[in-house]
Amino acid sequence: MTDNGSDLRRWRLPRGRHGLPRELVTRSQRERLLAAVVRVTAANGYEATSVADILEEAGVGRESFYELFEDKKDCLLAARQLLVDDLAATVSAAYRGPGPWVDRLRNGLAAMLDWFAADPAAARVVVVELAAVGAASRSLFQADFNRFTKLLDDGFEEEEPVPGLPQATTLAVGAALARVFESVVRGRTAQLPSLLPGLTYEVLVPFVGETVARAEEHRAAEIGGAA
Amino acid sequence: MRSVLEPTIPIDVGVRSQRQRIIEAMINCCAEKTYAGTTIADLVSRASISRTTFYKRFAGKRECFDAALDCCLDELQAAATRSHSSSDSAPEAVRKAAVAILDLMASKPALAQLVVGEAVAVEPAVIKRYRGLLIPALEALWDTTGEPRDSHTDRRLAFGRAQVLIYNQITAGDTKAVSDLLPEIVYISLLPFAGHEEALKQARLTGGDVSTGSGDR
Repeated sequence: MTDNGSDLRRWRLPRGRHGLPRELVTRSQRERLLAAVVRVTAANGYEATSVADILEEAGVGRESFYELFEDKKDCLLAARQLLVDDLAATVSAAYRGPGPWVDRLRNGLAAMLDWFAADPAAARVVVVELAAVGAASRSLFQADFNRFTKLLDDGFEEEEPVPGLPQATTLAVGAALARVFESVVRGRTAQLPSLLPGLTYEVLVPFVGETVARAEEHRAAEIGGAA
Repeated sequence: MRSVLEPTIPIDVGVRSQRQRIIEAMINCCAEKTYAGTTIADLVSRASISRTTFYKRFAGKRECFDAALDCCLDELQAAATRSHSSSDSAPEAVRKAAVAILDLMASKPALAQLVVGEAVAVEPAVIKRYRGLLIPALEALWDTTGEPRDSHTDRRLAFGRAQVLIYNQITAGDTKAVSDLLPEIVYISLLPFAGHEEALKQARLTGGDVSTGSGDR
Protein backbone atom coordinates (compact mmCIF):
# COMPACT_ATOMS: atom_id res chain seq x y z
CA MET A 1 0.00 0.00 0.00
CA THR A 2 1.28 3.48 -0.76
CA ASP A 3 1.42 5.97 2.07
CA ASN A 4 0.52 9.14 0.19
CA GLY A 5 -2.78 10.83 0.79
CA SER A 6 -5.71 9.30 2.57
CA ASP A 7 -6.40 5.59 2.81
CA LEU A 8 -8.81 4.66 0.05
CA ARG A 9 -9.97 1.70 2.10
CA ARG A 10 -11.80 4.10 4.40
CA TRP A 11 -14.24 4.68 1.54
CA ARG A 12 -15.18 1.01 1.48
CA LEU A 13 -18.87 0.36 1.94
CA PRO A 14 -19.85 -1.65 5.02
CA ARG A 15 -20.06 -5.42 4.73
CA GLY A 16 -23.43 -7.11 4.87
CA ARG A 17 -26.73 -5.61 3.82
CA HIS A 18 -26.40 -1.88 3.41
CA GLY A 19 -29.34 -1.46 1.05
CA LEU A 20 -27.38 0.87 -1.27
CA PRO A 21 -28.23 0.78 -4.96
CA ARG A 22 -25.99 -1.40 -7.10
CA GLU A 23 -25.06 1.57 -9.25
CA LEU A 24 -23.64 3.45 -6.27
CA VAL A 25 -21.62 0.44 -5.12
CA THR A 26 -20.09 0.08 -8.58
CA ARG A 27 -19.26 3.75 -8.76
CA SER A 28 -17.56 3.68 -5.37
CA GLN A 29 -15.45 0.71 -6.46
CA ARG A 30 -14.58 2.29 -9.76
CA GLU A 31 -13.52 5.56 -8.16
CA ARG A 32 -11.32 3.80 -5.63
CA LEU A 33 -9.74 1.63 -8.31
CA LEU A 34 -8.92 4.64 -10.50
CA ALA A 35 -7.33 6.51 -7.60
CA ALA A 36 -5.46 3.36 -6.57
CA VAL A 37 -4.03 2.50 -9.98
CA VAL A 38 -2.50 5.98 -10.24
CA ARG A 39 -0.95 5.76 -6.78
CA VAL A 40 0.56 2.30 -7.16
CA THR A 41 1.73 2.84 -10.75
CA ALA A 42 3.48 6.06 -9.78
CA ALA A 43 5.07 4.35 -6.78
CA ASN A 44 6.17 1.05 -8.37
CA GLY A 45 6.24 1.70 -12.10
CA TYR A 46 3.75 0.17 -14.53
CA GLU A 47 5.73 -3.00 -15.22
CA ALA A 48 6.09 -3.90 -11.53
CA THR A 49 2.47 -3.12 -10.68
CA SER A 50 0.08 -6.06 -10.38
CA VAL A 51 -3.70 -6.14 -10.24
CA ALA A 52 -3.28 -7.43 -6.68
CA ASP A 53 -1.45 -4.19 -5.74
CA ILE A 54 -4.33 -2.13 -7.11
CA LEU A 55 -6.91 -4.22 -5.24
CA GLU A 56 -4.95 -3.90 -2.01
CA GLU A 57 -4.69 -0.13 -2.33
CA ALA A 58 -8.36 0.31 -3.31
CA GLY A 59 -9.87 -2.23 -0.94
CA VAL A 60 -11.80 -3.80 -3.80
CA GLY A 61 -12.18 -7.51 -4.59
CA ARG A 62 -10.75 -9.20 -7.69
CA GLU A 63 -14.13 -10.14 -9.09
CA SER A 64 -15.40 -6.58 -8.86
CA PHE A 65 -12.24 -5.37 -10.59
CA TYR A 66 -12.77 -7.61 -13.59
CA GLU A 67 -16.41 -6.59 -13.84
CA LEU A 68 -15.22 -3.00 -14.30
CA PHE A 69 -11.97 -3.34 -16.20
CA GLU A 70 -10.42 -5.77 -18.65
CA ASP A 71 -6.99 -5.68 -17.07
CA LYS A 72 -4.36 -3.48 -15.45
CA LYS A 73 -3.80 -1.53 -18.65
CA ASP A 74 -7.50 -0.82 -19.15
CA CYS A 75 -7.74 0.47 -15.59
CA LEU A 76 -4.65 2.68 -15.88
CA LEU A 77 -5.73 4.14 -19.22
CA ALA A 78 -9.19 4.95 -17.83
CA ALA A 79 -7.59 6.81 -14.91
CA ARG A 80 -5.20 8.59 -17.23
CA GLN A 81 -8.00 9.73 -19.51
CA LEU A 82 -9.81 11.21 -16.54
CA LEU A 83 -6.63 13.06 -15.54
CA VAL A 84 -5.88 14.41 -19.02
CA ASP A 85 -9.50 15.61 -19.39
CA ASP A 86 -9.20 17.39 -16.07
CA LEU A 87 -5.87 18.96 -17.05
CA ALA A 88 -7.30 20.19 -20.36
CA ALA A 89 -10.35 21.67 -18.61
CA THR A 90 -8.15 23.40 -16.02
CA VAL A 91 -5.75 24.88 -18.58
CA SER A 92 -8.59 25.87 -20.88
CA ALA A 93 -10.49 27.68 -18.12
CA ALA A 94 -7.39 29.75 -17.27
CA TYR A 95 -6.44 30.40 -20.90
CA ARG A 96 -9.88 31.27 -22.25
CA GLY A 97 -10.50 34.00 -19.68
CA PRO A 98 -10.64 37.74 -20.46
CA GLY A 99 -7.59 39.93 -21.16
CA PRO A 100 -4.75 40.18 -23.67
CA TRP A 101 -3.42 36.98 -25.23
CA VAL A 102 -0.03 37.20 -23.50
CA ASP A 103 -1.71 37.34 -20.08
CA ARG A 104 -4.11 34.53 -20.92
CA LEU A 105 -1.22 32.42 -22.15
CA ARG A 106 0.71 32.98 -18.92
CA ASN A 107 -2.40 32.11 -16.90
CA GLY A 108 -2.80 28.90 -18.88
CA LEU A 109 0.84 27.94 -18.34
CA ALA A 110 0.60 28.72 -14.63
CA ALA A 111 -2.57 26.59 -14.32
CA MET A 112 -0.80 23.74 -16.12
CA LEU A 113 2.26 23.86 -13.85
CA ASP A 114 0.07 24.08 -10.72
CA TRP A 115 -2.02 21.13 -11.87
CA PHE A 116 1.02 18.89 -12.25
CA ALA A 117 2.62 20.11 -9.01
CA ALA A 118 -0.54 19.41 -7.00
CA ASP A 119 -0.37 15.65 -7.61
CA PRO A 120 3.06 14.20 -8.43
CA ALA A 121 1.61 10.68 -8.78
CA ALA A 122 -0.86 11.87 -11.40
CA ALA A 123 1.93 13.78 -13.15
CA ARG A 124 4.07 10.65 -13.31
CA VAL A 125 1.25 8.57 -14.77
CA VAL A 126 0.35 11.19 -17.36
CA VAL A 127 3.83 11.98 -18.71
CA VAL A 128 6.11 9.03 -17.84
CA GLU A 129 4.26 5.78 -17.21
CA LEU A 130 2.06 6.01 -20.30
CA ALA A 131 4.93 4.83 -22.50
CA ALA A 132 5.17 1.58 -20.52
CA VAL A 133 1.75 0.31 -21.64
CA GLY A 134 3.05 -0.55 -25.10
CA ALA A 135 1.88 0.32 -28.60
CA ALA A 136 -1.42 1.85 -27.45
CA SER A 137 0.56 4.65 -25.82
CA ARG A 138 1.58 6.11 -29.18
CA SER A 139 -1.84 7.06 -30.46
CA LEU A 140 -2.83 8.33 -27.01
CA PHE A 141 0.24 10.54 -26.83
CA GLN A 142 -0.55 11.81 -30.29
CA ALA A 143 -4.18 12.57 -29.44
CA ASP A 144 -3.23 14.41 -26.26
CA PHE A 145 -0.52 16.42 -27.98
CA ASN A 146 -2.93 17.49 -30.72
CA ARG A 147 -5.56 18.34 -28.17
CA PHE A 148 -3.28 20.82 -26.41
CA THR A 149 -1.97 22.27 -29.67
CA LYS A 150 -5.58 22.87 -30.72
CA LEU A 151 -6.44 24.33 -27.34
CA LEU A 152 -3.63 26.86 -27.81
CA ASP A 153 -4.59 27.57 -31.42
CA ASP A 154 -8.25 28.09 -30.54
CA GLY A 155 -7.33 30.78 -28.03
CA PHE A 156 -5.86 33.03 -30.72
CA GLU A 157 -7.70 36.12 -31.83
CA GLU A 158 -7.27 38.27 -34.91
CA GLU A 159 -4.93 40.86 -33.41
CA GLU A 160 -2.53 38.39 -31.85
CA PRO A 161 1.11 38.13 -32.90
CA VAL A 162 1.98 36.13 -35.99
CA PRO A 163 4.62 33.56 -35.08
CA GLY A 164 7.99 33.56 -36.81
CA LEU A 165 7.80 29.81 -37.34
CA PRO A 166 5.14 27.71 -39.07
CA GLN A 167 4.58 25.32 -36.18
CA ALA A 168 5.00 27.70 -33.25
CA THR A 169 2.10 26.25 -31.28
CA THR A 170 3.54 22.75 -31.63
CA LEU A 171 6.79 24.23 -30.39
CA ALA A 172 4.99 25.74 -27.40
CA VAL A 173 3.30 22.49 -26.37
CA GLY A 174 6.64 20.70 -26.81
CA ALA A 175 8.39 23.25 -24.59
CA ALA A 176 5.82 22.80 -21.84
CA LEU A 177 5.88 19.02 -22.02
CA ALA A 178 9.68 18.91 -22.01
CA ARG A 179 9.77 21.02 -18.84
CA VAL A 180 7.19 18.86 -17.08
CA PHE A 181 8.80 15.59 -18.18
CA GLU A 182 12.21 16.77 -17.01
CA SER A 183 10.91 17.79 -13.58
CA VAL A 184 8.90 14.61 -13.06
CA VAL A 185 11.85 12.37 -13.98
CA ARG A 186 14.10 14.31 -11.61
CA GLY A 187 11.55 14.03 -8.80
CA ARG A 188 11.00 17.79 -8.75
CA THR A 189 7.31 17.84 -9.70
CA ALA A 190 6.30 19.96 -6.70
CA GLN A 191 8.71 22.73 -7.80
CA LEU A 192 7.16 23.06 -11.27
CA PRO A 193 5.36 26.38 -10.54
CA SER A 194 8.75 28.05 -10.06
CA LEU A 195 9.51 27.39 -13.75
CA LEU A 196 6.76 29.75 -14.94
CA PRO A 197 9.05 32.69 -15.89
CA GLY A 198 11.45 30.57 -17.98
CA LEU A 199 8.62 28.69 -19.65
CA THR A 200 6.76 31.91 -20.42
CA TYR A 201 9.88 33.16 -22.22
CA GLU A 202 10.36 29.93 -24.18
CA VAL A 203 6.77 29.76 -25.33
CA LEU A 204 6.50 33.44 -26.23
CA VAL A 205 9.81 34.12 -27.95
CA PRO A 206 8.89 32.61 -31.37
CA PHE A 207 5.75 34.79 -31.38
CA VAL A 208 6.93 38.12 -30.02
CA GLY A 209 10.76 38.16 -30.27
CA GLU A 210 13.49 38.51 -27.71
CA THR A 211 12.71 41.87 -26.09
CA VAL A 212 9.01 41.36 -25.40
CA ALA A 213 9.50 37.73 -24.33
CA ARG A 214 12.22 38.78 -21.88
CA ALA A 215 9.96 41.49 -20.43
CA GLU A 216 7.16 38.94 -20.01
CA GLU A 217 9.57 36.57 -18.28
CA HIS A 218 10.30 39.26 -15.68
CA ARG A 219 6.62 40.02 -15.28
CA ALA A 220 5.84 36.37 -14.70
CA ALA A 221 8.56 36.31 -12.03
CA GLU A 222 7.07 39.36 -10.31
CA ILE A 223 3.56 37.94 -10.39
CA GLY A 224 4.85 34.61 -9.08
CA GLY A 225 6.81 36.37 -6.33
CA ALA A 226 3.77 38.41 -5.28
CA ALA A 227 1.42 35.44 -5.15
CA MET B 1 55.80 -12.50 -43.02
CA ARG B 2 52.17 -13.26 -43.60
CA SER B 3 51.46 -16.77 -44.82
CA VAL B 4 49.25 -17.09 -47.87
CA LEU B 5 47.37 -19.69 -45.93
CA GLU B 6 46.43 -17.28 -43.16
CA PRO B 7 42.70 -16.47 -43.28
CA THR B 8 41.92 -12.97 -44.51
CA ILE B 9 38.37 -12.86 -43.22
CA PRO B 10 38.32 -11.39 -39.70
CA ILE B 11 38.02 -14.01 -36.99
CA ASP B 12 34.91 -12.42 -35.46
CA VAL B 13 32.92 -11.88 -38.65
CA GLY B 14 30.31 -14.47 -37.72
CA VAL B 15 29.83 -13.13 -34.24
CA ARG B 16 29.52 -9.58 -35.47
CA SER B 17 27.02 -10.55 -38.11
CA GLN B 18 24.90 -12.32 -35.51
CA ARG B 19 25.09 -9.37 -33.14
CA GLN B 20 24.14 -6.99 -35.91
CA ARG B 21 21.19 -9.15 -36.99
CA ILE B 22 19.91 -9.29 -33.43
CA ILE B 23 20.32 -5.54 -33.03
CA GLU B 24 18.39 -4.92 -36.22
CA ALA B 25 15.67 -7.28 -35.04
CA MET B 26 15.46 -5.29 -31.82
CA ILE B 27 15.20 -1.97 -33.68
CA ASN B 28 12.41 -3.26 -35.93
CA CYS B 29 10.49 -5.09 -33.21
CA CYS B 30 10.53 -1.98 -31.01
CA ALA B 31 9.16 0.10 -33.86
CA GLU B 32 6.36 -2.38 -34.45
CA LYS B 33 5.32 -3.37 -30.96
CA THR B 34 7.37 -1.18 -28.56
CA TYR B 35 10.12 -2.40 -26.24
CA ALA B 36 7.60 -3.46 -23.61
CA GLY B 37 5.79 -5.63 -26.15
CA THR B 38 8.94 -7.24 -27.58
CA THR B 39 9.89 -10.73 -26.40
CA ILE B 40 13.12 -12.71 -26.78
CA ALA B 41 11.09 -15.09 -28.97
CA ASP B 42 10.31 -12.19 -31.34
CA LEU B 43 14.00 -11.31 -31.60
CA VAL B 44 15.09 -14.91 -32.09
CA SER B 45 12.59 -15.50 -34.87
CA ARG B 46 13.22 -12.19 -36.58
CA ALA B 47 17.03 -12.54 -36.53
CA SER B 48 16.82 -16.23 -37.55
CA ILE B 49 19.08 -17.38 -34.76
CA SER B 50 18.57 -19.76 -31.87
CA ARG B 51 17.68 -18.73 -28.37
CA THR B 52 21.07 -20.12 -27.25
CA THR B 53 22.85 -17.86 -29.72
CA PHE B 54 20.89 -14.88 -28.49
CA TYR B 55 22.05 -15.50 -24.94
CA LYS B 56 25.64 -15.99 -26.12
CA ARG B 57 25.63 -12.51 -27.61
CA PHE B 58 23.51 -10.69 -25.02
CA ALA B 59 22.76 -11.23 -21.34
CA GLY B 60 19.13 -10.28 -21.89
CA LYS B 61 16.59 -8.06 -23.59
CA ARG B 62 17.74 -4.89 -21.90
CA GLU B 63 21.42 -5.40 -22.77
CA CYS B 64 20.42 -6.01 -26.37
CA PHE B 65 18.32 -2.86 -26.37
CA ASP B 66 21.22 -0.82 -25.00
CA ALA B 67 23.46 -2.15 -27.79
CA ALA B 68 20.79 -1.22 -30.35
CA LEU B 69 20.61 2.29 -28.92
CA ASP B 70 24.43 2.64 -29.09
CA CYS B 71 24.30 1.55 -32.71
CA CYS B 72 21.59 4.12 -33.58
CA LEU B 73 23.37 6.93 -31.76
CA ASP B 74 26.65 6.15 -33.56
CA GLU B 75 24.84 6.37 -36.87
CA LEU B 76 23.23 9.70 -36.00
CA GLN B 77 26.46 11.10 -34.70
CA ALA B 78 28.32 10.08 -37.86
CA ALA B 79 25.67 11.73 -40.05
CA ALA B 80 25.84 14.94 -38.01
CA THR B 81 29.64 15.05 -38.18
CA ARG B 82 29.70 14.50 -41.96
CA SER B 83 27.11 17.21 -42.58
CA HIS B 84 29.24 20.29 -42.07
CA SER B 85 32.80 21.44 -42.67
CA SER B 86 35.22 23.69 -40.86
CA SER B 87 34.38 26.57 -43.22
CA ASP B 88 30.82 26.78 -41.87
CA SER B 89 29.95 29.30 -39.18
CA ALA B 90 28.59 27.84 -35.95
CA PRO B 91 24.93 28.62 -36.72
CA GLU B 92 25.30 27.17 -40.23
CA ALA B 93 26.93 24.04 -38.87
CA VAL B 94 24.10 23.56 -36.37
CA ARG B 95 21.54 23.98 -39.13
CA LYS B 96 23.29 21.47 -41.40
CA ALA B 97 23.69 18.96 -38.59
CA ALA B 98 19.98 19.25 -37.76
CA VAL B 99 19.09 18.69 -41.42
CA ALA B 100 21.31 15.60 -41.55
CA ILE B 101 19.84 14.15 -38.35
CA LEU B 102 16.24 14.70 -39.42
CA ASP B 103 16.91 13.33 -42.91
CA LEU B 104 18.37 10.18 -41.42
CA MET B 105 15.39 9.85 -39.08
CA ALA B 106 12.96 10.37 -41.95
CA SER B 107 14.64 7.64 -43.98
CA LYS B 108 14.93 5.23 -41.04
CA PRO B 109 11.68 5.42 -39.07
CA ALA B 110 12.57 2.52 -36.79
CA LEU B 111 15.83 4.17 -35.77
CA ALA B 112 14.01 7.42 -35.02
CA GLN B 113 11.35 5.63 -33.01
CA LEU B 114 13.97 3.84 -30.93
CA VAL B 115 16.03 6.93 -30.14
CA VAL B 116 13.29 9.44 -29.37
CA GLY B 117 10.52 7.09 -28.25
CA GLU B 118 11.52 3.69 -26.91
CA ALA B 119 14.80 4.72 -25.27
CA VAL B 120 13.02 7.40 -23.27
CA ALA B 121 10.26 4.97 -22.30
CA VAL B 122 12.75 2.28 -21.24
CA GLU B 123 14.89 4.63 -19.20
CA PRO B 124 13.75 8.27 -18.90
CA ALA B 125 17.22 9.18 -17.60
CA VAL B 126 18.58 8.48 -21.11
CA ILE B 127 17.85 12.18 -21.70
CA LYS B 128 20.92 12.91 -19.58
CA ARG B 129 23.05 10.75 -21.82
CA TYR B 130 21.74 12.49 -24.95
CA ARG B 131 22.61 15.81 -23.43
CA GLY B 132 26.07 14.53 -22.61
CA LEU B 133 26.54 13.84 -26.33
CA LEU B 134 24.81 16.88 -27.76
CA ILE B 135 25.58 19.84 -25.56
CA PRO B 136 29.40 19.49 -25.70
CA ALA B 137 29.17 18.93 -29.46
CA LEU B 138 27.13 22.12 -29.88
CA GLU B 139 29.40 24.08 -27.57
CA ALA B 140 32.47 22.85 -29.42
CA LEU B 141 31.10 24.32 -32.67
CA TRP B 142 30.98 27.72 -31.05
CA ASP B 143 34.41 27.33 -29.49
CA THR B 144 36.20 26.22 -32.67
CA THR B 145 34.74 29.02 -34.77
CA GLY B 146 35.51 31.49 -32.01
CA GLU B 147 32.03 32.99 -32.22
CA PRO B 148 30.48 34.46 -29.13
CA ARG B 149 27.75 32.39 -27.56
CA ASP B 150 25.17 33.75 -25.31
CA SER B 151 22.94 31.97 -22.86
CA HIS B 152 19.38 32.77 -23.90
CA THR B 153 17.58 29.77 -22.51
CA ASP B 154 18.70 26.81 -20.51
CA ARG B 155 20.66 24.89 -23.14
CA ARG B 156 20.09 21.60 -21.37
CA LEU B 157 16.43 21.85 -22.33
CA ALA B 158 17.02 22.03 -26.06
CA PHE B 159 17.23 18.29 -26.52
CA GLY B 160 14.12 17.56 -24.47
CA ARG B 161 12.12 19.96 -26.58
CA ALA B 162 13.39 18.51 -29.84
CA GLN B 163 12.74 14.98 -28.63
CA VAL B 164 9.12 15.75 -27.72
CA LEU B 165 8.44 17.29 -31.14
CA ILE B 166 10.03 14.47 -33.11
CA TYR B 167 8.32 11.83 -30.99
CA ASN B 168 4.99 13.50 -31.60
CA GLN B 169 5.59 13.52 -35.35
CA ILE B 170 6.66 9.87 -35.39
CA THR B 171 3.69 8.68 -33.35
CA ALA B 172 1.51 10.30 -35.99
CA GLY B 173 2.79 7.47 -38.19
CA ASP B 174 4.26 9.73 -40.82
CA THR B 175 8.01 9.60 -40.38
CA LYS B 176 8.66 11.42 -43.63
CA ALA B 177 6.91 14.39 -42.05
CA VAL B 178 9.77 14.61 -39.55
CA SER B 179 11.44 16.92 -42.07
CA ASP B 180 8.49 19.30 -41.63
CA LEU B 181 9.87 20.03 -38.20
CA LEU B 182 13.20 21.20 -39.51
CA PRO B 183 12.68 24.95 -38.96
CA GLU B 184 11.49 24.30 -35.40
CA ILE B 185 14.35 21.93 -34.56
CA VAL B 186 16.96 24.32 -35.94
CA TYR B 187 15.34 27.11 -33.96
CA ILE B 188 15.37 25.13 -30.71
CA SER B 189 18.99 24.06 -31.22
CA LEU B 190 20.20 27.60 -31.85
CA LEU B 191 18.08 29.60 -29.42
CA PRO B 192 20.19 28.87 -26.33
CA PHE B 193 23.43 29.80 -28.10
CA ALA B 194 22.64 32.42 -30.68
CA GLY B 195 19.37 34.01 -29.54
CA HIS B 196 16.01 34.48 -31.22
CA GLU B 197 17.08 36.53 -34.28
CA GLU B 198 19.86 34.24 -35.48
CA ALA B 199 17.84 31.12 -34.62
CA LEU B 200 14.92 32.39 -36.66
CA LYS B 201 17.19 33.35 -39.56
CA GLN B 202 18.70 29.86 -39.73
CA ALA B 203 15.29 28.25 -39.26
CA ARG B 204 14.01 30.11 -42.33
CA LEU B 205 17.04 29.04 -44.35
CA THR B 206 16.00 25.40 -43.92
CA GLY B 207 13.36 26.05 -46.58
CA GLY B 208 16.14 25.51 -49.10
CA ASP B 209 17.42 22.34 -47.43
CA VAL B 210 14.29 20.26 -47.71
CA SER B 211 12.14 19.35 -50.64
CA THR B 212 8.93 19.07 -48.61
CA GLY B 213 7.22 22.29 -47.60
CA SER B 214 6.90 23.02 -43.93
CA GLY B 215 3.19 23.75 -44.18
CA ASP B 216 1.15 26.43 -42.51
CA ARG B 217 0.04 26.37 -38.98
